[in-house]
Amino acid sequence: MSKLKLFAMLAFTMATSAQAHDRWILPTHFSVSAEDKVWIMADVTASNETFNVDKPMGSDRFTIIKPNGERSRPSSSYRGHRKSVVDIHLTEEGTYKLYLDSNVSYWTSYEISGKEGTQWLRNVSKANRADKLPKGAKNVTTLASQAQVMTFVTLNAPNDNYSLTNNGLELKPITHPSDIAQNEKAQLQLLFNGKPQQGVEVEIIKDGARYRNDLNALKVVSDNNGEISFTLADAGRYLLVAEFKKSLTHDALADEMGGQIFFTFEAVLN
Amino acid sequence: MIKAWVVLVFALIFTVQARGAEIELSINLAKQTGEYHNPYVAVWIEDDTGKSVRTLVLWREGAKWLKDIRTWWRKVGRRAPELVDSVTSATRPAGDYRLNFSTNDDNGEPLAQGNYTLKFEVVRENGGRAMIKQKFRLNGQAQSYDLQGTLETNPTTFSIKE
Repeated sequence: MSKLKLFAMLAFTMATSAQAHDRWILPTHFSVSAEDKVWIMADVTASNETFNVDKPMGSDRFTIIKPNGERSRPSSSYRGHRKSVVDIHLTEEGTYKLYLDSNVSYWTSYEISGKEGTQWLRNVSKANRADKLPKGAKNVTTLASQAQVMTFVTLNAPNDNYSLTNNGLELKPITHPSDIAQNEKAQLQLLFNGKPQQGVEVEIIKDGARYRNDLNALKVVSDNNGEISFTLADAGRYLLVAEFKKSLTHDALADEMGGQIFFTFEAVLN
Repeated sequence: MIKAWVVLVFALIFTVQARGAEIELSINLAKQTGEYHNPYVAVWIEDDTGKSVRTLVLWREGAKWLKDIRTWWRKVGRRAPELVDSVTSATRPAGDYRLNFSTNDDNGEPLAQGNYTLKFEVVRENGGRAMIKQKFRLNGQAQSYDLQGTLETNPTTFSIKE
């Protein structure tokens, strides 16, 4: 599938959260021990079946924040038909943030008689939509959206390398990601433009969705402090999906700002 | 003056008691069939807040496999490389090993009286894992606990001798 098609698909599904297309980075190891340096790998995919891969994506945007805060890139990558794969050399002790670098993208939606449902214009903001919209377009809205696809891996002792940007929807661990464990309460905070955000809807989906009838996603909503807490009974790998949309006033480019987070983590065995 | 003497004598008695207490632990690694790698073993003591105060045993191979002793690595080993070096010992085959320890913490200071948990993690490459937990109380009295068997360990005992 071409990037353009994939974008279009993601855009469509983004608008209807019930069909949201998940994306993730799944590392071979979340926690490693080594005397010196160690290699890990990670899969990158867009798929709706945690953690079975479906479509390749984003290895060109794959970014590593090393424990000392320096930015780095994978040593090599491969884009297959069902997933992208990257090699990552962990060369110093601490926690690495792995994520897909993404810009804000603008999506203008409208309705028009003769066509059923909501229509979408990609890369069309409030500033340039007048020229692109067909005559008679109704219910015109422009969404500025940004997605964070992310995970953390730790070599030996962890550190709080969360590298927040104070832009859009972000996730700030309270419980260190390498300390999320079976039957222990874990706490995370959702921020929007750097401030704690109440009302962010979060779903936590366990690995192995293909092999059970009930998806059994854990649903939580962030509280007054933007915090969520949960206790997982099973050790294993999980995908956390957070979504939030806010109306914008006096913004030249969009009417709404939307954020998504796709955070992969493991709950370790106790 | 008398008061001071009494305090001093009591302090001495308590110090002696704490220093005199001894932990006896039997590690009984079960025989397995088929491909067998010596298990990695960690035994440690947590205080009543869940913080590790003493690692008694670490039977291990190279650093790559430390992470597989999941709970001990997360809660203790990864933040304490010097401790790892000082308690490291080679892995051992199936069998019964009787070990004695002082009731000191990782720094060699006597553990205060109170509630603790003994944790005993056994991990075998290409095999299973066992996590045994036993609450106990250091209160100046001798005590003994039977630790139930697991797929990786035979039933053993853990006792405090005063």
